Amino acid sequence: MKRFLPNSLIGQLLALVAFTLLIAQGINVALLYQGAQNQKMVEASASAVARIAWEAERINERGFRERRYRRDGSLRIRRNRPSTTSQSAIEDGQTRLPSVEERAARAFDNLGITSLSVQAARVDKLPANMRNSVIGLGRERQRLRAIAYRKMPHKIDGFIIMSAQIGEGRWLNIASVIRDRNPRLARTLIFQTAVIYLILLIPLIWLGRYISRPLKALTKGAEDFRPGASDPIAESGPPDTKQLIAAFNRMNDRVGAMLNEKNVMLGAIGHDLRTPLAALRVRVESVEDEEERDRMIAGIDDMDRTLDDILSLARLGRSKEAAEPTDISALIETVADEFTDMGAAVSFTRSGRTIANIRATLIRRALRNLIGNAVKYGEEAAVSVDKDGDKLVIHVDDNGPGIAEDQIEAMFEPFARAEISRNRATGGSGLGLTLARAIMRDHGGDVTLQNRAEGGLRASLMLSLG
Amino acid sequence: MSGQTHILLVDDEATLREPLAEYLVKQGFRVQQAGDASQARSVMNAFNFDIVLLDIMMPGEDGLSFCRHVRETTGTPVIFISAKGEELERIIGLELGADDYVTKPFSPRELVARIKVVLRRTNGGNGVKSGSGAIYQFSGWTLKTDQRSLVDSEGVAVPLSSGEYQMLLALLSRAGQVLNRDQLLDITQGREAHAFDRAVDNQISRLRRKIEADPKNPEIVKTVWGGGYVLAGDVRTL
Repeated sequence: MKRFLPNSLIGQLLALVAFTLLIAQGINVALLYQGAQNQKMVEASASAVARIAWEAERINERGFRERRYRRDGSLRIRRNRPSTTSQSAIEDGQTRLPSVEERAARAFDNLGITSLSVQAARVDKLPANMRNSVIGLGRERQRLRAIAYRKMPHKIDGFIIMSAQIGEGRWLNIASVIRDRNPRLARTLIFQTAVIYLILLIPLIWLGRYISRPLKALTKGAEDFRPGASDPIAESGPPDTKQLIAAFNRMNDRVGAMLNEKNVMLGAIGHDLRTPLAALRVRVESVEDEEERDRMIAGIDDMDRTLDDILSLARLGRSKEAAEPTDISALIETVADEFTDMGAAVSFTRSGRTIANIRATLIRRALRNLIGNAVKYGEEAAVSVDKDGDKLVIHVDDNGPGIAEDQIEAMFEPFARAEISRNRATGGSGLGLTLARAIMRDHGGDVTLQNRAEGGLRASLMLSLG
Repeated sequence: MSGQTHILLVDDEATLREPLAEYLVKQGFRVQQAGDASQARSVMNAFNFDIVLLDIMMPGEDGLSFCRHVRETTGTPVIFISAKGEELERIIGLELGADDYVTKPFSPRELVARIKVVLRRTNGGNGVKSGSGAIYQFSGWTLKTDQRSLVDSEGVAVPLSSGEYQMLLALLSRAGQVLNRDQLLDITQGREAHAFDRAVDNQISRLRRKIEADPKNPEIVKTVWGGGYVLAGDVRTL
C-alpha cells in the first residue's frame, strides 16, 4: 500500500486534496440522491392521490359499482382509472411505504375525502390486476404492453400501488409510475469532481512548489555540503522555510569556521612537531655508535609515522586531491613492489585492468597499512582482486595466527593492537586499521577482517565501482 | 663546477637550520644561512649559489613566493624542505619550479643525495628537470610531470612508483637515445642508491608491466642487446 503513495510534497498534497474532494463529493451526491429518491416518490404518490381523490368524488356522485365485466369476462374499466375492489390490491410480501401512506391519508383529509385507510406499496413489476389502472406511463404505455408488462423501460423505476378504502368493502386502487429522475448521478459526480480538482490543481501545484522548492535546495545543499567551500543557499519560500535556510547557512558557516580552525591547528601541530623532529634527525647523524644511531633513527621514523597517521586521519574528508579514474591493479602492484623491495613476501597476480574512481594517494595508504599488517603479523601477504557486482574487493590474506572473533571489531578502534604485538618491536602507530577503514568509508566502501578457514587473516578492502 | 658547492639554506627554525648547516659543511659544502625570505634575498644579491634549500612555511614571505623569485631572477635550482607532506602541496611546489622536495623529518644523507642529483641534472645540461611542468605524449600515454601522473588514452590514471616515474622520465626526455644501466642509475638515482644493475632491470620490467600491451614483447621501452634501454616511438613534448 505504502508504495502507491506519492513521496513528494506536491504529490502528497495533490493526493490528499483529491481524496478529500472525492469524499466531500460523495457525501454531496448521497444527499442529492436521497433528495431525488424522495422527490420521485412524492411525485408518484401525489398523482396516485389525485387520481383516487378524483375517482372517489365520482363515486360519491354516481355510487359505488364494484365490478363491471365485459362480455369476455374481463373487467370493464377504462384505463388510467382506479379499479374498485372489495379488498385492498396490496398483497402480502409487497414493500409497504408507511411515509407515503401517512402523507396520502393527510392529503385525503385535506381534500375532504373520507378514507378509512390508505395502503401503499412499491413494486418493480406491474401486477396483472393493476394493468388497466396505471397512471404516469405516457408514451411508454405502448411499449409496456408490447413487452407484456414484464420488463420495464429504463426510465421507469417501478410503481407505487396505492389502495384507499373509501367505505366498507370499497377500495380504490391505482398504480403510479415512479419516474427515474437521476440516471446520471455517478457521471455527474465524476465530472464535478474533475472540474473542481482541475481548478484547484494550478494553485495547489504552485503552493507545493513554493514550499518544496526551497526545501529541495536545502536538501541538496546539505547533501553536497563541503564545509567552508559551499555557497550559502538562497533564502526563498514561506517565512518558516526562509528561517530554516538562514539557520542552515549560519550553521554551515560555523562548521566551516570550526573545521578551518581545526585544520590550521593541525597544520601548526604538524609543523611544530616535525621541525624539532627534523632537527633531532639531523643531530642523530653525528652519533658515532652506528647501532645506537640506527635505533634513534628508527625511533624518530616511528614518531614521524604516528604523527603522519594522526594528521591524515584528522584531515580525512577534507582532502584536496580530486578523485580520478585509476587502474587499481597498477596501484596494488606499486604497493606490493614497495614491500618486495624491502624484502617482504608479498604476492599479487595481476589480472587485467580494474578501473575505479579514487583518490590514489589515500587508497595507496590504506592498502599499504593492510599489507603492512599482513607482513608484520602473518609473515607473508597474498593480494587478490575480486569483482562482486558493482563492488570491487581487494583481499589481503596472511598466514598469521588471525584474531579472536570477538576482538575483530575492536581492532578498528584507534590505538588498538592485536595481543601479540604489545611489544614495541612490532609497534606501529595503532592507527593503521582505523585510518584504512576511514579512507575506504570516505570512498563509499569499507574494510573488514575475517579469519580464514585455512588459517590466517583476510583483510578485505571494499570499493564501490559505481 | 669550480670548487665547493655553495648552498643557501633558508629556514626560520634555527634549531633545525644550524645543525643542518653544520652537517652540510661536514659533507664538504659551503653553506650560507638565512632566517627568512628578506634575509635570503639580500644574501642572494651578495653571493652566487649553486642550490637553494628552502623551507615553505616561514613568517613573512613564504617559501613558495621566494621560490618564484629565485626562478625569475637567477634560475638557481631549489629544493623545498617542508613539514607539509600532503601530496598536493608537493605538486604545487614542483609546479612552481622547485627541482625537488623533502619533507621533515628527512634523512640528512638523503638530502645530500638529492642535492647531488639536482646539481648533476642542472650542471650536466642533459638532466631530467622534473619541475618544468612538461607534458609528454607517447604511444597513447600522457605523462604530466607537474602532477607526476601517467594517464592512458581513456583518461585512466596508472599509478607509478617514484622509481618507475624517474625511469620513464629519463627515457622520455632522451627518446630514441639508448641508455645503459649506469646512465639510467646516474640520472634517476635520488632517494636510495640502488647500487645494482638488477635494480634498473627490475624497474624497467615493472614499468613495462604497467604501460606495455604485452610486457613480454615490449613496444615502448625496448631492450637494446648489450647496450641498455631505449624509448621507441614518437614522443611529443607539450
